[in-house]
Amino acid sequence: MSELALRRPLMNRRYTLEVRQQMAWPWQALILTGSLIMGLLISGAILVWAGVPAGELLNEFVFLTLFDAQSLRAVLFQASPLIMVGLAGCLAFRARFWNLGLEGQMIFGAIGATAITLWEIGSPAMRLPLMVIAAMVCGLLWSVAPVLLRLKLQVNEIVSTLMLNYIAINFLLHLMYGAWKDPKDAFPYSPKYESFELLPDLANGLSLSFPIAIGTALLVLWFVSISRGGLYLRFVDKSPQVARSVGVPVARTILLAVLFSGALAGLAGLMIAAGQEGRLTHSFYVGYGFSGILIAFLARNNPIAATCAALLIATLFVAGRSLQVFYQIPFAMVQLIQAVLVICVASSDFFIRHRIRRVQMGD
Amino acid sequence: MDLITSWIGNIPEFAVPFALAALGLIITEKSGVLALGAEGLMLVGAVAGIGAYLTFEQNAIALIMAMMAASVVSLLFALMVLVMRINQVISGLVLVFFCQGLSTLVGTLMGWTNQPVPGLHAIALWPLSELPYVGRFFVQNIVVYLTPVIFLVTVWALYRSTPGLRLRAVGENPQASDAAGIPVLGYRLAAIVVGAALIGLAGAFISVLSTKLWIANMTGGRGWIAVALVIFARWSPWKALAGAVLFGCIEALIPQLAASGIKLSQYFVFMAPYAITLGVMIWVAASKRDTSSQPADLGTPFIREERT
Repeated sequence: MSELALRRPLMNRRYTLEVRQQMAWPWQALILTGSLIMGLLISGAILVWAGVPAGELLNEFVFLTLFDAQSLRAVLFQASPLIMVGLAGCLAFRARFWNLGLEGQMIFGAIGATAITLWEIGSPAMRLPLMVIAAMVCGLLWSVAPVLLRLKLQVNEIVSTLMLNYIAINFLLHLMYGAWKDPKDAFPYSPKYESFELLPDLANGLSLSFPIAIGTALLVLWFVSISRGGLYLRFVDKSPQVARSVGVPVARTILLAVLFSGALAGLAGLMIAAGQEGRLTHSFYVGYGFSGILIAFLARNNPIAATCAALLIATLFVAGRSLQVFYQIPFAMVQLIQAVLVICVASSDFFIRHRIRRVQMGD
Repeated sequence: MDLITSWIGNIPEFAVPFALAALGLIITEKSGVLALGAEGLMLVGAVAGIGAYLTFEQNAIALIMAMMAASVVSLLFALMVLVMRINQVISGLVLVFFCQGLSTLVGTLMGWTNQPVPGLHAIALWPLSELPYVGRFFVQNIVVYLTPVIFLVTVWALYRSTPGLRLRAVGENPQASDAAGIPVLGYRLAAIVVGAALIGLAGAFISVLSTKLWIANMTGGRGWIAVALVIFARWSPWKALAGAVLFGCIEALIPQLAASGIKLSQYFVFMAPYAITLGVMIWVAASKRDTSSQPADLGTPFIREERT
C-alpha cells in the first residue's frame, strides 16, 4: 500500500515530445553552436584515439592553420573549389533534385578543360576563357541525362547520378592511364598545362579562383533570391503540385537549376586542375562531391552560408593534409569528421523543432 | 569452353553480396525506412569481417562479428531517422560517408590492408557438381548455399508470420498501425538492425570469402547497385534474387573478359555494371509505371504527435 502511494506521483508524470511552432533566433544560434562544438569534441576524441597527442590538437587545427599566413592562404586556395561544389549542391537541392553526381560533373569539367589544352584550341590569350567555357559545358552535359530521366521517366536521380560518377571515374582512369598520360614519367597524370593555361595569381599569392568563387556565390545569391527563376525554385521546393497549378514551369525550372549546378561543378573541376594541380590527375576529385553535398546541407541551401561552410571544410582539408604528413593519419579522417559534424548539426534541428514537456496526468 | 565453365562457376560468388544486401534493404524498406546506407554498411561489414578474421582466425566468428558491427553502426542511422527525424535521404548519405571514413580509418590504422585470408573451402554438391558446363556452379562455399535458405526464411517471415505482417503494415500505414497498437518505431528499429546485419554479411562475404583481402572502399558502389536492384525488383525478394544473379553474371564476366584478351580498355569493362544498372533502371521506368508495390510510407518519418 505504502509502496503504491510512493509510486503514484511518478506514474502520473509523463514526458511528451511536442512540436514547437517557432523558436527565437538567439536560441537557434545557441543550439546550432552547441551542436557544432559537440561535433568538434567528438572529432577531437576520434583524433586522439587515432594517435594525435591531445595537447597538439588545438595547436594543429587552430593556430597552425588559421594564424599562419601561408596556411591561411592554403585554406583560401582550398576553399574555392569547395565553394563551387557547395553552391552546385545548393542549386540542385533547391529544386528537390538530389544531385549526387557532383564528382562526375567535376571530372568531366576538368576533362573538357584539359581537352582544350591538349588539342591547343585557340590562341594563348583565349586559352583560359575557352577552358572555362569547356569545363562548364562538359559539367553541364554530364548532368543532362539524370535530370531528363527524372523529369521524363521518374528515374531515381540518387542512383542515376551515382552510377554516372562511377562511369566518369573509370573514363578518367582510362584517359589517365592511356591516351592522355604524360609521356615524360610513369604517373597517371596529363602533361602539365602551359603557364597561360593556369589560373593566374593575384597579389599575395591569392589565386584568381577565390574571387571567382566569391563572385559565383553572389551570382547564385542573386539567382535564388532576386531572379524570377529563384522565385519559381521556391515554389517548386515548397510544393511541385501547387507550383504546377499556379502556372510555374516546374520542369523547366528544375532543368535550369540542375544544369546550372552541373556547370558549377564542372568549374570546380577546372579550379582544381588549372588552379591547384596544374594538370589533370587520376584522383583530383576525391572527397569533393561528398563535401559539396554536406556543405549545401550545413548551409541549408543558402549560398552565403555555403561559402562560410566551405571555408570551415577547407580548414579541415588543410589540417587533414598536415595530419596525414605528420601523424600518418589517412585522409579518410577528414571524411569521418565531416560526417560527424553533419550528424551533430542535423540533430540540432530536432532540438530546435521539438521540446520535451512534462505532463501531469489528471488527479 | 573453359572460359564459360569458369564464368558460370564464378557467378554465385559475385551474386551473393548483391542478393544479401538487397534482401537486407528490402527488410528495412518494407518498414517504411528509406535505406540508402547500404554501401556504407557493406564497408563496415567488410572491414569488421577481415579484422575479426585476422584476430580470431575463425570464419564463422568473422562473419558474425561483421553482422554485429553493421548492426551497431546502423543504430546511429536509427537514431538519426527514428529519434531525430532527420531527412532519410540525408541520413542515408551521411551514414555512407561516415562508414567510408570509419572503415578506411580503422582498417588502415590497424594495418589490415592487403592481408590475405584463406576464406572458406568449397563444398561440391555431388551429383550436380559433375554436370558438364554448369558443374562448377555447384562447388561453392557454405554461405552461398545458405543464401537461398536465408531468402526462404525471410520471405516466410515477411509474408507468413505475424511480425512480418505488422512490419509491412508499419511501412504501408504507420498511423493505422499505431492505432492498432503496433509499436511503429520499434518495428522500424528492428527492421533497420536486421537489415543492416544482412548487408554487413554481404560486405564480409566480399572481403573474407570472395576477394580474401581488404582494401579501403573495396565495395566500389555495389551497395548502390543493390539499392537500384531493390527499386527495379519492386521490393520483391525473389525478383531481387533474380536481379542479383543477373548482376553476378555481369560481374563474373569482367575477369573473364580481361583474361580472354579482348582489345578493349579495361576501364570500359569496369564501367559495365554501373552502365547496365543505369540501363536497367531506364528500361524498367520506360516499360511499366507501377509504383504500387513500393511501401506507401517509404521515406516519411513517423511523428506521432503530428498525427493527421
